[in-house]
Amino acid sequence: MHMADALLSPQVGVGMYAASVAAIAVATAKIKKDDFGESKVPLMAVSGAMVFAAQMINFTIPGTGSSGHIGGGILLAALLGPFAGLLTLAAVLVIQCLVFADGGLLALGCNIFNMGVIPCLFIYPLLFRPILSPSPTVKRIWIGSVAGVVITLQLGAFGVVLETTGSGIAALPFSAFLVLMQPIHLAIGVVEGIVTAAILNFVYAARPDILTTAAYGSAAPALANRRPAKSPNPGVAEATSVSSIASGNKRTDSPKTVIIVFACIAVILGVGISLFASAYPDGLEWSMERVAGTTELETGESTVFSALAGVQERLSFMPDYDFADGEGAGTSAAGIIGAALVFVIAGAAGLIIRAYKKHRRAKTALR
Amino acid sequence: MLSNRVHDLYVLEGLADGDTVIHRLHPRAKLLVTLVFIIAVVSFNRYDVLGAVPYFLYLIIVMSLAELPGSLLHRRFLIALPFCAFAAVTNLILIRETAFVLGGASFSWGFLSMLTILLRTYLCVMAVFILIATTPFPALTRELHRLHVPKILITLIEMIYRYIGVLIDEAGSMATAYKLRSVQSKGIAMKDMGSFVGQLAIRSFDRGERIYAAMTCRGYGRDIPGRERVRMTPPDILCLILLCAAFVLLRFFPILHML
Repeated sequence: MHMADALLSPQVGVGMYAASVAAIAVATAKIKKDDFGESKVPLMAVSGAMVFAAQMINFTIPGTGSSGHIGGGILLAALLGPFAGLLTLAAVLVIQCLVFADGGLLALGCNIFNMGVIPCLFIYPLLFRPILSPSPTVKRIWIGSVAGVVITLQLGAFGVVLETTGSGIAALPFSAFLVLMQPIHLAIGVVEGIVTAAILNFVYAARPDILTTAAYGSAAPALANRRPAKSPNPGVAEATSVSSIASGNKRTDSPKTVIIVFACIAVILGVGISLFASAYPDGLEWSMERVAGTTELETGESTVFSALAGVQERLSFMPDYDFADGEGAGTSAAGIIGAALVFVIAGAAGLIIRAYKKHRRAKTALR
Repeated sequence: MLSNRVHDLYVLEGLADGDTVIHRLHPRAKLLVTLVFIIAVVSFNRYDVLGAVPYFLYLIIVMSLAELPGSLLHRRFLIALPFCAFAAVTNLILIRETAFVLGGASFSWGFLSMLTILLRTYLCVMAVFILIATTPFPALTRELHRLHVPKILITLIEMIYRYIGVLIDEAGSMATAYKLRSVQSKGIAMKDMGSFVGQLAIRSFDRGERIYAAMTCRGYGRDIPGRERVRMTPPDILCLILLCAAFVLLRFFPILHML
C-alpha cells in the first residue's frame, strides 16, 4: 500500500504532509504530557523494529503457497496505545522510505496518513477500544482485531485511490481503480486481521498488563486521581471509567474527544489543501504556460490545440517544428535527439569522472 | 536468508562511510537538494517525457562523483518498481489517442505517460538512494532536528533503525528453532504465526524495558548528546543554491522543448 512519488502530484503530496504533520504534532504533545511517555520510547522503538523483523519472515498461507506479512497499524496501537503507535509507525515508514525506497519521500505524508493516522487515530479509539471494553477477552480481541484491520485497510486503500486519482498521473478511472483496490485489500485485511488477533491473544494470555496499559495507560494518572482507591485493582478502575466515557458520559477533556477533534482537523487539513490545490489544477503549469509557451493537454484541447492543429496542417511535417507543442509533451524529432544527447553526455560525464578518480587513486597508490 | 536481509539493511549505510566530494557536502544541502529535485521532477505534467530527461545528468554525475555502485542501487530500485510499472502499463492500455507519428509508427498519449511514470519513478527513487548512500544516518537525523521534527520521533527513527538488525537476529534464531522441530515445513505455518510473533513481541517488550534501564543509567532523559551544530560552509551553500536553481530553471525552461 506504499505510495510512490512518481504517481503523485506535488499539491496532493504537500497537502497530505500537512495532515500527517498535524497528527504527529498532536501525538507528540500527548506523549510529552504523559508522565510515562519518555520511558516508553525504548519500548516503542523495539516494537517498531519488531514489526520490521516480523515483516521479513514469510508465513505460508495454507493452500495458496503465497506468503503474507503484517502491516502492523492496529497491532502497534494495541500494544503501545494510539499516540505512541502512530509515532512508531511514522518512524517505521520514514525508515522504509529512506532505506528500502518503499514509498516515496514526497509520498511520505500520504503513507503516514493511510497506514498510521487511520488505524491509530480513527479505528483504534472509535472501533477497536470500544469493542475490547470494558476488558479484553479472547473473543473481543478476535472481533476487534479482524474488524479493525479490515476497516483500516479498506480506508487506507480508499485513501490511496483518492490520492492517486487526485494527482492525475495514473489514467485508471476512479471507479475502476476502486474496484481493483478494495477487494484485494479486503483479502489482505482478513489475513492480517487474523494474524493480528492471534498475536494479541498470545500477548494477552502471557502478559495481560501490556494491552490494558496501552488502552488506558495514558489516561491512568488523571483517572486515578479522580477516583482514589475505589477498586483495589487500578486497571479495573480505569477500564470502567473509560467505558463510562465511551457510553456517553462525555467530558471536554476526555482523551476520546481530543482524538476525534484532532483527527477531524487532520482530515480537513489534508482534504482541504488537496482540494484547494486541485481547484487550481497547476500553479506551476499555469506559470509554465506563460513562461515557456506550453500548456497542459486539457487546456490545450480547446483553443491552443485546434489552432495548432490548423498550423500543423499547413506546415505538415518539418524537422525543425515541434508539432506536439501545445500539449506539454513537446515531442519532436529534435526533442528526442536532445534527450538522447542528454543520456550520452551523462554517460560520458560519468565515465570521465570515474576514469579521473581511478587515475588519481593509482597515482596516490604509487606514492 | 535472514542474515542477508540484515546485510541489505545496512549496506547503503556502509556506502555513506565514503569520503568523496558528495560525501563531504553538508547533509542539509543534500537533503534540500533532493527535495527540490523530487518536487521539480514530479511537477511535470503526465505526458511530458522530455522535460524530466535532463534531470538524469544530476543522478549520473553525482553517482560517479560519489563512487556509488550502480548495480547495487539499481537492484534496490527494482523493489520500488512493481506498483508504478502497473500504473504505467494501465496508462498505456487506457489512453489510446495518437499523440504523434514518427517515422511511420504512431505513438499514443498512453505510451508517453507510461514513459513519464517510469522515468519519474527512476529519478525519484534514485535521488533518495543517493541521499542515503552518501549521508550517514546520524547526520541525516540531526538535520531532521533542525527542521523541527519532534525529538521523540527522531529518537524513535534512530533507535528503530538500530534495533531492526537485533530483532531480525532474534526472529532468525526463533525461526531456526522452529524449523528444527518441524522437519518438512518450508516456512512457519500460518497457525503458528500468532504465537511466533506474539513471542517476538513479548521478547521485544522485555528487551525494551532492559534498554530503558540501561539508557537511564547512562543519563537518558536529558538532552541528547552529540547534537552540536555543524555549520554549512560557503561551498555547501553555493552548491545548494546552484543545484536548486538549476532544477527550478529546468522546470520552467525545459531545454528539450526549445530544440
